[in-house]
Amino acid sequence: MADFKKIEENLKKEAKRLLEAGEVTVVLAYSKGFDEKHPMPYAAKSVADIKNIVFNEYCNHNMARYLVRYPQGTKIAVAVKAADSRAVIQLIQEEKVKRENLVLLGIPVYGMKNSKTGEVIDSKTTSGLCNPVLYDILLGAEVHGQKIVSPYEVLAEYEAMDKDARWEFWKNQLDKCIRCYACRKACPMCYCDPCFIDQSKPRWADKAPQSPGNMMYHLTRFHHLAGRCIDCGECSRACPVDIPLYLFHKKVAKECEEMFGQAAGMKLEDKPVLVDFRVEDSDKILE
Amino acid sequence: MLKKTAINKISELAAVLMEKGTLIAPVKEVSGHNFAQILDPQKVDLDFYNTIMSPKSAFFPHKEDFINYKVGKPISEAEPVVLNLKPMFLFGVRPCDVKSFQIMDIHFNAAGIIDPYWRQRREATTIFGYAFDLSKSVDSADFYNTLGIYAADPDGSDIFMVKKDNELLLKGITLQGKKLLSELTTIENGKAADKKYFEEYIKKGRDYKTRFMCLDQETITKKLEDIFHNTDFWTRVSSACLSCGVCTFVCPTCYCFDICDDTQFGRGTRRRVWDACMFTDFTLEASGHNPRTQVYQRLRQKINHKYSYHVRKYGVISCVGCGRCTRYCPVSIDIYSIIEEAIKT
Repeated sequence: MADFKKIEENLKKEAKRLLEAGEVTVVLAYSKGFDEKHPMPYAAKSVADIKNIVFNEYCNHNMARYLVRYPQGTKIAVAVKAADSRAVIQLIQEEKVKRENLVLLGIPVYGMKNSKTGEVIDSKTTSGLCNPVLYDILLGAEVHGQKIVSPYEVLAEYEAMDKDARWEFWKNQLDKCIRCYACRKACPMCYCDPCFIDQSKPRWADKAPQSPGNMMYHLTRFHHLAGRCIDCGECSRACPVDIPLYLFHKKVAKECEEMFGQAAGMKLEDKPVLVDFRVEDSDKILE
Repeated sequence: MLKKTAINKISELAAVLMEKGTLIAPVKEVSGHNFAQILDPQKVDLDFYNTIMSPKSAFFPHKEDFINYKVGKPISEAEPVVLNLKPMFLFGVRPCDVKSFQIMDIHFNAAGIIDPYWRQRREATTIFGYAFDLSKSVDSADFYNTLGIYAADPDGSDIFMVKKDNELLLKGITLQGKKLLSELTTIENGKAADKKYFEEYIKKGRDYKTRFMCLDQETITKKLEDIFHNTDFWTRVSSACLSCGVCTFVCPTCYCFDICDDTQFGRGTRRRVWDACMFTDFTLEASGHNPRTQVYQRLRQKINHKYSYHVRKYGVISCVGCGRCTRYCPVSIDIYSIIEEAIKT
């Protein structure tokens, strides 16, 4: 198990230093919630707020989600686990935030747990990485020696299904959707304003939680995140009816990676695959 | 009148109710339990803490079709959707959720315009309340005690049910409930020991503690009015809020809806669909102006509506403390903690 107490101490220490020195105006981290298993995303804005910061195995939330909420130019320190750091990189690539306005407090960690089910989420709904891809300050020792698991391993069972079985699977799953939009709201890459599903001219799908609209919403969202999903799994954990959205996102991510040789949010200098054109790009899609 | 049945024979009771009308009861789904119309009596499953979605959808479905029409045809050709209700049995409702129907009645069945859809369903329905299992620990999100509700309150149920080991005790509470129970001839009558157990269980329910704070309606209403403009407070408590609709959709007392027309290939349906005050476009006006663009404004609205405006207008807090909003919030925002903090502010 990662040393959560140590990370929490370091998080507080760095947050205090950055706020005191005026290097940032807000530190995005975690605070305690209504019980131990339910910590909350937290924005510490003054030294007095530091005491509220916590870090434990249930701090899954991807704090990169909150970056676009602050006006451009705000100096922000943000606590990032592996997948979260990928979200930051992707947001920088998409020019939603600037690298120079961010201080990344990297958290190398494994053994994070889903507060609803208690299960360890490593690699199942996160990217299978332990160490942040990009950081300024590391809040704990880098994790080494953990079994390397492909983030796509969980797809095996799903990929084994034939076309009809997959259709049946997704139809059943998406029929459960209550259209609360927690998935898109929890997603760090879902920042469209307005989201296509909220538009009324044209109206892309009906508002009622029924099959055609649910399909339209989810399938569009899945594909809008092609090459952009950084596999943090927040959509699936946010879902009150446990739709395994991560499976679809992983499948699309895998195809993107195979076709374009690049995973989302791994390198600052990359361009998002679907806005970049390279002569050697795969033509598989046209075949 | 008290009757009983073995819990493993619950499907037999379900089958009898299905013969008499429509049965809505908890079923186990992949993600947890939910109320659903029962088509297979074996599916009724009482081994649950509480359902994910509240039972309000039995009377106020997520989607309700009003009128079917053809585009370009005169209004006289439009066809209103008729309900054609059979007697309904809403089975296995927890006491806090039963209480929520009384609050919802204010909006749909009392003040101002009567909602014919709600009323017809409500009148056709017999409610089988079901006490929480006192032998199991309480969920840390629940706080119905704060709203004066106890784990085994029969108030508001037509028939109230209590679990006794492997048996289910059913007691008629209202005339309607007693009448129905007397018609259920396939289940056996309770013995004197069962009656005693039932009465004691109701009493013991008062000692089954959820989170509790002493909440005076007038004090909290006044307090929320006082801090309405305290932007610091509202920004702080809403800083994690994603402004999704989970809390309002799972809530048993949220009743906002949108009316929309869905047309395709010349055929249309006018229907209502649940809406949520947490959505950005909830208050978006036709002019493009939006009076609540900020997350804190929307969360403030939700909390004030339940704990302040509702008290001023109808004399009752519009919350039953079922804990669903807290339990299913993706970022664990807890309305109880916010109220607690508001009082201290």
